Amino acid sequence: MSVDLFNKSYFDIFNVPLSYDIDLNKVGEIYLKLQKSVHPDRYANSGDQEKRIAMQQTSLINQAFYTLKDPVSRAQYMLKLKGLDMDSETDTTMDAEFLMEQMEFRESIMEVQDKSDPLSELDSMLAVLGKKMDGLSKDFTNLFVNASYDAAREAVRKMQFIIKAKKEVNELSEKLEDELM
Amino acid sequence: MALLQIAEPGQSSAPHQRRFAVGIDLGTTNSLVATVRSGVAETLPDASGNHLLPSVVRYQPDHDPVVGIEAKSSSVDDPLNTIVSIKRLMGRGIEDLKSLGNRLPYKFAETESSVPRIATSAGHVSAVEVSAEILKSLKDRSEQTLGDELVGAVITVPAYFDDAQRQATKDAARLANINVLRLLNEPTAAAVAYGLDSGQEGVIAVYDLGGGTFDISILRLNKGVFEVLSTGGDSALGGDDFDHAIAEWIIPQIGLNKTELEPSQARLLLREACKAKEALAENEQVELNIELNENHRWFGLLTRDQFQQLVDPLIKKTLLACRRAIRDAGVDQADIVDVVMVGGSTRTLRVRELVGDFFKQQPLVSIDPDKVVAIGAAIQANSLAGNDPDGEMLLLDVIPLSLGIEIMGGLTEKIIHRNTPIPVSRAQEFTTYKDGQTAMAVHVVQGERELISDCRSLARFELRGFPPQVAGSARIRVTFQVDADGLLSVSAREETSGVEAHVEVKPSYGLNDAEIEKMLRDSMDYAKDDMLARSLREQQVEADRVIVALDAAMAEDADEMLEADERDAILKARDILLQTKQTSNDVQEIKQAVQAVERASASYVAKRMNASVQKTMAGHKVEEFTVEDENK
Repeated sequence: MSVDLFNKSYFDIFNVPLSYDIDLNKVGEIYLKLQKSVHPDRYANSGDQEKRIAMQQTSLINQAFYTLKDPVSRAQYMLKLKGLDMDSETDTTMDAEFLMEQMEFRESIMEVQDKSDPLSELDSMLAVLGKKMDGLSKDFTNLFVNASYDAAREAVRKMQFIIKAKKEVNELSEKLEDELM
Repeated sequence: MALLQIAEPGQSSAPHQRRFAVGIDLGTTNSLVATVRSGVAETLPDASGNHLLPSVVRYQPDHDPVVGIEAKSSSVDDPLNTIVSIKRLMGRGIEDLKSLGNRLPYKFAETESSVPRIATSAGHVSAVEVSAEILKSLKDRSEQTLGDELVGAVITVPAYFDDAQRQATKDAARLANINVLRLLNEPTAAAVAYGLDSGQEGVIAVYDLGGGTFDISILRLNKGVFEVLSTGGDSALGGDDFDHAIAEWIIPQIGLNKTELEPSQARLLLREACKAKEALAENEQVELNIELNENHRWFGLLTRDQFQQLVDPLIKKTLLACRRAIRDAGVDQADIVDVVMVGGSTRTLRVRELVGDFFKQQPLVSIDPDKVVAIGAAIQANSLAGNDPDGEMLLLDVIPLSLGIEIMGGLTEKIIHRNTPIPVSRAQEFTTYKDGQTAMAVHVVQGERELISDCRSLARFELRGFPPQVAGSARIRVTFQVDADGLLSVSAREETSGVEAHVEVKPSYGLNDAEIEKMLRDSMDYAKDDMLARSLREQQVEADRVIVALDAAMAEDADEMLEADERDAILKARDILLQTKQTSNDVQEIKQAVQAVERASASYVAKRMNASVQKTMAGHKVEEFTVEDENK
């Protein structure tokens, strides 16, 4: 069955340009507007066929929205549109300096529990990671515009490391906060 | 304002007929039913004026089960046949009984089914059957009050219910012969009742502590859209646990051991504990006077301080879930404009106090915490039944727990993460590991933990019938679809050959279709002829609905959307359906004619729905969020 929505890129669905710097507020507003027209609740009195299509369309819009909303999945999706698969393990060599830095960072996460005020230490770690993420976002934007897709993919790989580190920091502070309650 | 349509005298007003739909709050302790009448959502009382139906069912030999207040009064005298708090067993397996503790006084029957059955003097019953009795009672109440048959119901479930628990709830409705319009999360229902009442916009938290379940949901309210940002909770924590904590504090003081209690003594203790808990909302302390038998009498005092010591650890558990939910929602605590309290257990003052401290604001208790969920469900039911065609309300909900599959080493691979908006679908590719392999087994689990054994097993299914190939070359694409009720379905396809693999789902804790069919057959209410007559009428109504909808659509846009041959094919199928419906008494035959119409019109329907999406988008370019014409 050819439903146009399914042949569109996620960027086209939300009527925004293919770019890393999209207006997420606009995407969010269009998301709600689309939901109002496709959500299965709008088809509660329709036949099974309409219900099924409504469910598929809403699933797609949810998927599209959440792909664009998250910076890393947005970047990955942009590369995928250019024919680059993030999952392929053909080119796994990474910037040695970056990897070293990451390993040290991981170690400092482990050690933070022994500090006198681990929660504020973790907060400042989050700030450092946030800055790194901003830098990588800028790198990615430029590389993508210049069609240097391989290098752009490298930037996304680094983003993945940062996100993972961020997750660890968050989990640890969550754990420490739970213990305090 | 909207223009009112006024019919000319003598003409019938509108073809639109009001369709009766209700919202049902199927609670651990009490259940309620509500509907929208004359624009007002209200709960429906029974003949004696009681709105709450105690979720208690008593079974006796040669007697229909008794539900509600009458059953509740026998819970101490006849504990083994009087089933309370059945919601705790919904979607649970035999194994879970252990973790639920020795708190359940029932005798469980030895059975081959994965679903526990309680042995009563009227035979073995499952949680689904007991819940169905409660639902039937509410259905009867609403049909008697409204004087008409129900189109359907929105039934609420704890947001934190997993797939098996949701499925069990839907099965119970099926057994009670209720058409489920939607399973709605309880905190979302409460947010609807509260949001439409107050007109509040922004981020709100709904804290829902019932008799046996706890939910926390963070929602954003925006122009009639209720968007759930995150949800969390514990589907086995509620006010019942406060009673148990008090009872366990009393037991050693009476000079007894927990294991020595008779079932009726345990019930009595719990009843007294519950009374004491409720009395503490008014008083600083309560006197307890408990007489289990001549040798075991106890007179004591429960102060608020002592009570707090008993329940604080339980309330703290709920607050940990609140913090996680706020974090998952990606909002700051300061963004939360209101905290809405839902569920009878939020009447406990200590709960209000600690929740207020945590959110740094006075929680709202203005809407009756017992009724708010049913009222929200009624509003949603009214909208889904089509009684509110111009309504702007839309509920966007999320999946509460991640869905994953088992991979090598007993680990979980997450396929759909928690707090993903539903409906949602994800596809995953698998391959074979042996030459010539033509089948594979997939184990689906739900939960956040890494190890399969720490997650909840939902189903195991086998993919069969794909062509034998060299190991690693088959590409089996398995699609996991979660619908708007939060229920999972799975389909699979071998990509290189295009073979649709057969999926056989064996629910780990649910009833399989055969078991449900059997229950339906066994059920006294459905003599075979009645069943047939009913399904024939249902199918005829369905045929009418399809024809009316198709005619309306074609009158609107058939000329621009359809080529002549496609149009002819649709009309031909339509005419066959009309004729079959009028002449046939065979359910299957009518059903096939309906399906033929659906097949013929498939691409037309898709085109129309797509056009409606296009229209939504087109509106954007031109007016870009200007206020819509209010006089439409």
